[in-house]
Amino acid sequence: MNTAIDKDLLLKDKEMTSESALLEKKIITGMKTTTYKIISKDVREFHFIIPFDKRVELGEIFSIKDNAIMDDEITFLARITDIRHDSNYEGKWDTALKGTEFFDEDQIFNRVIAEPLGCIIFDKKSGKKEFKKSKTIPSKFSEVEKAQFEEFEVLKEKISSDLEVGYLRNGSKAVEEIPVGLNSKIMDHHMGVFATTGMGKSNFMKVFAASCMKRASKGISEFGLLIVDPHGEYLLGNRKKDSKDIKGLLHLTKYSGGLKCYSTDKKNALIPNVVEIKLGWDDIKPSDLFARYNDWSTPQKEGILSIERSIKRGSFQGKSWLEKIKDGESVVSAQYRDTTVDVITRRVEDILDLDYIDEHRSNVRDIISNLQMGMVTLIDMHRISERDELFLLSVLSRHILERYKDDDLNGARKNCLITIEEAQRVLGGGNGNISRFEMIAREGRKFGVGLCAITQQPKLIDKQLLSQFNTLIIMGLGDKNDRKCLEESAKQDLSTLDVEIQTLEKGEAIISTLNVPFPIPITIHLYEDYLERLKEKDNAEGNHEPKARKLSRPPK
Amino acid sequence: MADSHLGFSAYNKVDQWGRNLVEERVYEGFAQVIEKIIEDIKPDVLVHAGDVFHHVRPKIRTLYIFKRELEKLSKKGIPTIIISGNHDSPKTSSTASPFDLFEGLENIHIIHNNEYQAIPIGDHLFHCIPFCLNNGAYLEQFSKIEPSGSDVLVMHGLIESLRDKRLRTVGEHELSDSFLKSYFSYVALGHYHNQKQVAKNAWYSGSIEYFNFGEASDSKGILQIDLNSKKVEQIEIIQKYMIDFPPMDCSGLSSMELAEKLLILCDKEEIKDKIIRINLKNVSRATLKDIDRQKIAKLGSPALFFKINPEYIDEKDKSDVQLDSTRLDEAFAGFLEDKSIKDFMPKAIKEDVKVYGTNVMKKAISIHNTERLNASE
Repeated sequence: MNTAIDKDLLLKDKEMTSESALLEKKIITGMKTTTYKIISKDVREFHFIIPFDKRVELGEIFSIKDNAIMDDEITFLARITDIRHDSNYEGKWDTALKGTEFFDEDQIFNRVIAEPLGCIIFDKKSGKKEFKKSKTIPSKFSEVEKAQFEEFEVLKEKISSDLEVGYLRNGSKAVEEIPVGLNSKIMDHHMGVFATTGMGKSNFMKVFAASCMKRASKGISEFGLLIVDPHGEYLLGNRKKDSKDIKGLLHLTKYSGGLKCYSTDKKNALIPNVVEIKLGWDDIKPSDLFARYNDWSTPQKEGILSIERSIKRGSFQGKSWLEKIKDGESVVSAQYRDTTVDVITRRVEDILDLDYIDEHRSNVRDIISNLQMGMVTLIDMHRISERDELFLLSVLSRHILERYKDDDLNGARKNCLITIEEAQRVLGGGNGNISRFEMIAREGRKFGVGLCAITQQPKLIDKQLLSQFNTLIIMGLGDKNDRKCLEESAKQDLSTLDVEIQTLEKGEAIISTLNVPFPIPITIHLYEDYLERLKEKDNAEGNHEPKARKLSRPPK
Repeated sequence: MADSHLGFSAYNKVDQWGRNLVEERVYEGFAQVIEKIIEDIKPDVLVHAGDVFHHVRPKIRTLYIFKRELEKLSKKGIPTIIISGNHDSPKTSSTASPFDLFEGLENIHIIHNNEYQAIPIGDHLFHCIPFCLNNGAYLEQFSKIEPSGSDVLVMHGLIESLRDKRLRTVGEHELSDSFLKSYFSYVALGHYHNQKQVAKNAWYSGSIEYFNFGEASDSKGILQIDLNSKKVEQIEIIQKYMIDFPPMDCSGLSSMELAEKLLILCDKEEIKDKIIRINLKNVSRATLKDIDRQKIAKLGSPALFFKINPEYIDEKDKSDVQLDSTRLDEAFAGFLEDKSIKDFMPKAIKEDVKVYGTNVMKKAISIHNTERLNASE
């Protein structure tokens, strides 16, 4: 079909034959439509136009085939970041007009702003198509089409990884042929999961854990994952929510070999494969008290540190500091006032009364061993208070970091990733008081200990710490400041995705991580569907669920 | 009690009737325990936590000894609970269980055939889980437990937290730590031959006998438990008869000097009827060879078994590159890589050979590891 430009040029051609050769070169032939073509703008932003009555949506991926330059076929991929009304008329023509059909449909259109993801180039040497960052622009009027399967296929090897969490998202549709995952190898680099309530954080964590369990049960996981669950939703799911059965990690029986469960809740601990978690007296150091109470006065703080010094000096002659306190003996040196000592003693006794504290028993060693073997280790903290949860997690994290420091040269041990829910509580920075977790965020990586911070309010997390997070899973975030602070600390440029992040729906996310060419839009699997799929897929591959083996006996 | 391993024999030493001495010792030990239980301890209930027999097809003599002792308990009216262990449970449908022979004895409850059973005795309910074929089966049987308020668990297998962390595969007889629920008044465990507490309420009673040198430093015997006061008393039955001497540094010793040292170490009375292993380190082959073989044999003759275990100074370097048996697959892959770099192997088949070979190795390692977790054959 010829374009309008085409007709004009032909008319002029009759009058000015001498210039015809020059003009002919400018005739654009084979153009299918007046729209769906690139009209501007630069290497970092493409603009193309589409008919005013056609619909495209944010996040949709388009391919731009550029055949203008001979022998250099190149296909650009670009994602829509914004859509605007536009026309060839000037001024306020649209508001001045009354009635309909007063305008030429060809003159009004939608201008689509797209961010280039990269380009597909045919590599003559390898004979394969390769996906690369684009360092040029498509020639003007290049045709634009919705990206097809073949183009996604080229992307696949760049964005699929071993820990599958969802499918590539094209607009609001999932591209089911292209699974997207996180890379095990970079899991000690800290990770952040950001979303407002109800956007699917827990679902994401379960899917992520399931993928880790799958690898762990096969003995090929690269890291141990510690999941701390203050809401009691990961173990068995929550049966009340939405009146639909929400499943938990225990329902993934097929890969139960890769999961170890602990619970502070006596009822949950009755489940055959759940251990009732205990911290032993020996596991607790005086400085752990800082994790449970944050209103210590300076003398009280100093008093606690003085106990720690006495332990180091071996002043307690074989008795543990907690035993001494329990026996009513003094552990704080005499220079402190009685009231100071009383507060410390009272708070220590409070801790010793906690259900999960036990004089002799402790699971800390086993938990760390599980992590070092690459297991997913779930600690269900159903029905305990926030400060008890933080105390337990803080003591555990200290032990993990200490053990990993000691075992630094043990090549057989695997890295680990510690998840913290509502991470803004402990990674907030400020007042010069560096919490345990901040320490892990700062120095854990050297020893193979990573943090997975889950929070609704990234803006409350210390900026310096946030910049240490190399993997960001961003789900819907309504607050502008939250988005801004993620954009500032992400390893990829997220500024163009601002509108999209704001409009993400439940289950949709953007993953920014290392070793991927662009922030990946993704539809996260629904955990319950993923369970079914894992079951079916692996059965098809011949990996059957490990069932209880039984002998059939002949009659006696 | 647990892990009697009746029928275990070793070291070729026989008595005047040609019976293996170690095997006889195991029988005697078993009889001794039963006697002590009947005469001294007189318990309200006796629990044997698995591996009564060393083999799934015990010899007639082994069966006879067991029957003789079991009848004593039955007659004395001591309620006895026995579960099958990994050694005496059939692994195929065609094999019958040796315990089929002992059904119907009064006061005797033998739980086998891979099925959970609860036995009420006195105020307590004894939840018995005999040997099961895999982890899934243990979980399934455990799920059948319905707590009564006064519960005792009896199981056989290695609790996870005790496993050798270097064995990266999970053994089939491995029991999850999560089975040690705090609501049990007591958990009686078998399989691990060293007496050991593994949780506040859970113990391995250990075996009575020594079955390999790895057990030389174990505490052996039985346990007496008061379920009300939760008091556990370790009761020694037989005096220690296995000595694994700490390594003796032989660097710079002449054969004469070494012979003299051995002579002092092996006091006739001290080693009489014992199982002895002398470990030498940094010894040269020549020095050890120069010592008269006959003299060594004579030196060790009072012992039930006598072994010199040398670590040669001239072989030390080699031992450094020893293969880790749990990582044979990786070693094999490395070996292939090396060969293909040197062009000893066509590249086209390298990957196939590697995949096939490492898979075979992995299977072998898994079987090997499972066996390592068992008592030595």
